[in-house]
Amino acid sequence: MNNQTPLRENRVSRTAAMALMFLLAIYFLLPIYFLLVAATKPQGDLASTFGLAFSHFDLFKNLSTLFGRSDGIFARWALNSVIYAVLGAAVGTLISALCGYALAKFKFRGREFLFSVILGGVLVPTTALALPLFLLFSATGIVNTYLAVFLPSIVSPFGVYLARIFTAAAVPEEILESARLDGAGEFRTFFTVALRLMTPSLVTIFLFQFVGIWNNFFLPMVMLQKESLFPITLGLYEWNGQTARVSLLQESVITGALVSIVPVIIVFILLQRFWRTGLAAGSIK
Amino acid sequence: MSNTVTRIRVAGAVVAAAAGIVGLAACSSPAPSGNASAASPCEPAKGKVTLQYWNTVPGMDQVVALWNKNNPNIQVEIKNISNDQYGTIGNALKAGKAPELAQVGYDELPNLRSQDAFVDASACADATAAQSKFVPWTWSQTSFGGTGVFAFPQDTGPMALYVRSDLFKKYNLEIPKTWDEYATDAQKLHDADPNLSITFFDPNNAEWFNGLLWQNNAEMYSYAGDKWHVTVESDQSKQVAEFWQKLIDAKLVRTDLAHGSTPMYAAYQKNQIATYVGAAWGYSMFRDNLPDQSGKWTIVPMPTWGSNPASGDWGGSTVAFMKGNTHLYESVKFNSWLNTDPEALALENKLGGLYPAATAGASLPALAEGVPYYNNEKIFDVFAESSKNIDTSFAWGPTQKTVNLALQDAMAKAAAGNGKVADALAAAQASALKSMQDQAIPAVAGN
Amino acid sequence: MTDIATRATRVVPATGGRRRQNGGGPRAGVIVAFVIPFFLPFVLFYLVPIAYAVWQSFLVVRRTGGQYGTSYTTFGGFEQYVQVFQNTEFWASIGRIGLFGIVQVPVMLFVALIMALLLDTPLLKLKSFFRIAAFMPYAVPGVIAAIMWSFLYSPQLSPVVDLLKAIGLQPDFLGPGAVLWSAANVSTWLWTGYNMLIMFSALQAIPQELYEAAKLDGASNWAIAWKIKVPIIAPSIILTTVFSIIGTLQLYAEPAVLRQISSNISSTFTPNMLAYAVASGNNYQQAAAISVVIAIITFVLSFGFMRLTSKRAGL
Repeated sequence: MNNQTPLRENRVSRTAAMALMFLLAIYFLLPIYFLLVAATKPQGDLASTFGLAFSHFDLFKNLSTLFGRSDGIFARWALNSVIYAVLGAAVGTLISALCGYALAKFKFRGREFLFSVILGGVLVPTTALALPLFLLFSATGIVNTYLAVFLPSIVSPFGVYLARIFTAAAVPEEILESARLDGAGEFRTFFTVALRLMTPSLVTIFLFQFVGIWNNFFLPMVMLQKESLFPITLGLYEWNGQTARVSLLQESVITGALVSIVPVIIVFILLQRFWRTGLAAGSIK
Repeated sequence: MSNTVTRIRVAGAVVAAAAGIVGLAACSSPAPSGNASAASPCEPAKGKVTLQYWNTVPGMDQVVALWNKNNPNIQVEIKNISNDQYGTIGNALKAGKAPELAQVGYDELPNLRSQDAFVDASACADATAAQSKFVPWTWSQTSFGGTGVFAFPQDTGPMALYVRSDLFKKYNLEIPKTWDEYATDAQKLHDADPNLSITFFDPNNAEWFNGLLWQNNAEMYSYAGDKWHVTVESDQSKQVAEFWQKLIDAKLVRTDLAHGSTPMYAAYQKNQIATYVGAAWGYSMFRDNLPDQSGKWTIVPMPTWGSNPASGDWGGSTVAFMKGNTHLYESVKFNSWLNTDPEALALENKLGGLYPAATAGASLPALAEGVPYYNNEKIFDVFAESSKNIDTSFAWGPTQKTVNLALQDAMAKAAAGNGKVADALAAAQASALKSMQDQAIPAVAGN
Repeated sequence: MTDIATRATRVVPATGGRRRQNGGGPRAGVIVAFVIPFFLPFVLFYLVPIAYAVWQSFLVVRRTGGQYGTSYTTFGGFEQYVQVFQNTEFWASIGRIGLFGIVQVPVMLFVALIMALLLDTPLLKLKSFFRIAAFMPYAVPGVIAAIMWSFLYSPQLSPVVDLLKAIGLQPDFLGPGAVLWSAANVSTWLWTGYNMLIMFSALQAIPQELYEAAKLDGASNWAIAWKIKVPIIAPSIILTTVFSIIGTLQLYAEPAVLRQISSNISSTFTPNMLAYAVASGNNYQQAAAISVVIAIITFVLSFGFMRLTSKRAGL
């Protein structure tokens, strides 16, 4: 009798837990499913048919309309997003790693002060920075260029914070010491020894920054005037603003939204192994 | 973690301190610059010129392509600024990066001028000569009462009533001629079918409401004795507010639909709304968004207040000569073509639904013929008649955008049953005075 | 450039040649080389704009000439701040966002924590499916999420409203009472998975031995979760809370998109929306002052929260 109670408890909890998780999964996936369904519909069916059921399957037609609009501007936006997000996150991760590594492994006067200043940056609303930055960039003539979006994007104080924590957790002092004893310089030690140990953590930092840049629209909105420089988010936002007068854009906004989230989801799933280890390494500090 | 806590705490102080230091070093107070209203010289440039032109007109790329093909030496690049039109223009001005030409609504002209946003093109002979080509009230607003040439009128929005004639026929109703009849019909439609409303009241559409105020000769601003006189809250404006308040209270109008949104079209699509209080440029919106309802709509003059045939204007825009424009000669050339050339006007009307501000527009073939969607009725005759009945002395305030937001926020409260539409007029009046004070513009309440 | 470089070098020890006894301390030049690639852009693209905004907030507009005279700015001391503090719309937006945060942040984090704990027990199957499902909204840009949800809220278009009507309910997601919570739902949908993942990773990093003993003593999964796991991952929970507080105070894109279909979201709904509305009325100086006040409130709340919790948790 005595050991049946935990068993029954187990079965009840198991069922309850699965049920709860399924409900939550439906909550998280339903809007995405809705988007998927909507992207396959002709414009006219959007309002007139039930939103969660497929009607006429027009996905490929919608995609070709999307990519054919204004001489294929959408493909250009997609390419821009990739450039901003991949390059920005790559450079951003590298400089965050360098800085975080230095903060974790080198002892120097003012180190904690420096770290505090950088951490304070985490708390600054990036939306509040965009306008002053625009005015400052105007004075130097780099508004309305790739650089205007790219340069501010590479700075991620949170990345430095993570890099410092990750380095402390994943890079043992002894390994660095032995590399130094072998006569390797600091940079060589960093690039050949530390970077390899930090890889999972760096993937995590890269991902966070990649998503941050990919999803950002406020900064590009303030900085860019040429449509050919837009990232996807800004382009779609602009189209969405025109649907009041050009309602046929609605379907392209929806299809475009679906297209814009697919690459990010694929990147997530592909890099899953890395970012999970990476997060775990830093999370107990 | 406790380490992190301390670090972040220190960080706050440090960032604040660093910010202060750099700030004091980097900035100095700008002094007032030279006279803003002096006309700029009008010299043709040597060689090729590229003009930037920002606008929100659908299909403008094709109109400009036509110009670019025929004018290799004056090329025009466009940017669509439908999202946050005035935010984009305002930021660009502040950064000294304004385009040569920008689309500016009539109601925002004084606002932008008070920010020194325009250049005076009156040194160009073609610019001053253009006066005769436009509907008088539009020229009066772009020239600020004949004190310069700051913009060319592009289109106007004379108002009219769009009616689902099939529904009116179905319920044996006459098409309303006055606002009183309109209110009576609203009740009858609702009694006949509880899911049917005569129209919708979008509290977030101050421009539309301002058009209704204009129709009732509710003058909101005037300038005399070196001061602005603010009369947003007046007997005329209160009359309009109270009329809509009655319809809202009796639940005869929908208040949950945003103008131009997909839900709004869906409500029309589902035959839930029987009329639309609209402007000339709206004709293409219905045609393009509700193709199934072709033949069911007719357009008639606005319901009137008593026997006064006055109408109002909702929207419409100008193309302004922006600050920093060093190619006025070329800008005037393009701007006059854009807004007076029959071919350009016809294309803008077809693609963007623009109803031209140029007097020549009325004789465009496209505007003289019947429109298939509207049972081949000559709908533009209705708008032309409306245009003639618009009060030409109506003026906008120098902080119109802020006032519009205040009006909208308060109207939304009224629509939600929390206050009255008339309270929104009081809120707008207060906002006008406060915002002018913030911009150091002298203003008083009342005449 | 040189000025900033000099300032940054001052951070590192002046005694460049001094090396620690175990030979680990690199030269100052090396440290600078590591730090400067981040720190220089940080100064240029973070600190300088902040300083610029602070400076703007101390200016006021003055005007010479008549109706359309020339305007200029001059130092006005705390005038803009006095106006911010007298602005009832500002405090209303702070109150609204406060209510939002007091409800939305705990709900979101509680759901995230429950999910993380469940994923860390042997109770569940299909774990990686649930993890990916929860994390997926994070891939959706806020603007696009809000556009999607506005479809799901609109009585004219929403399949959800259709379903609820079919069972006799009359939901009004965009009504004056509900719209705040509809906005809160978009935030919850976007960020629950992200927070869950941070907590889950922390759970994964707990060495098994820590609760093997409790298991052998017959402690239930619940007891282990609440008494052992949650206290250990408290730092992660605090971190996610701080990020959520910051995010709440910066709320802009989601309500701004919902505003396109609901007039019950005013132009001053959140503090950031108010700041933007003021800026678009050309009052950049007042907008800067509002931004500064928002930032200060953010600092105070984040620090206050961390201080409170770290004391109570004995961390």
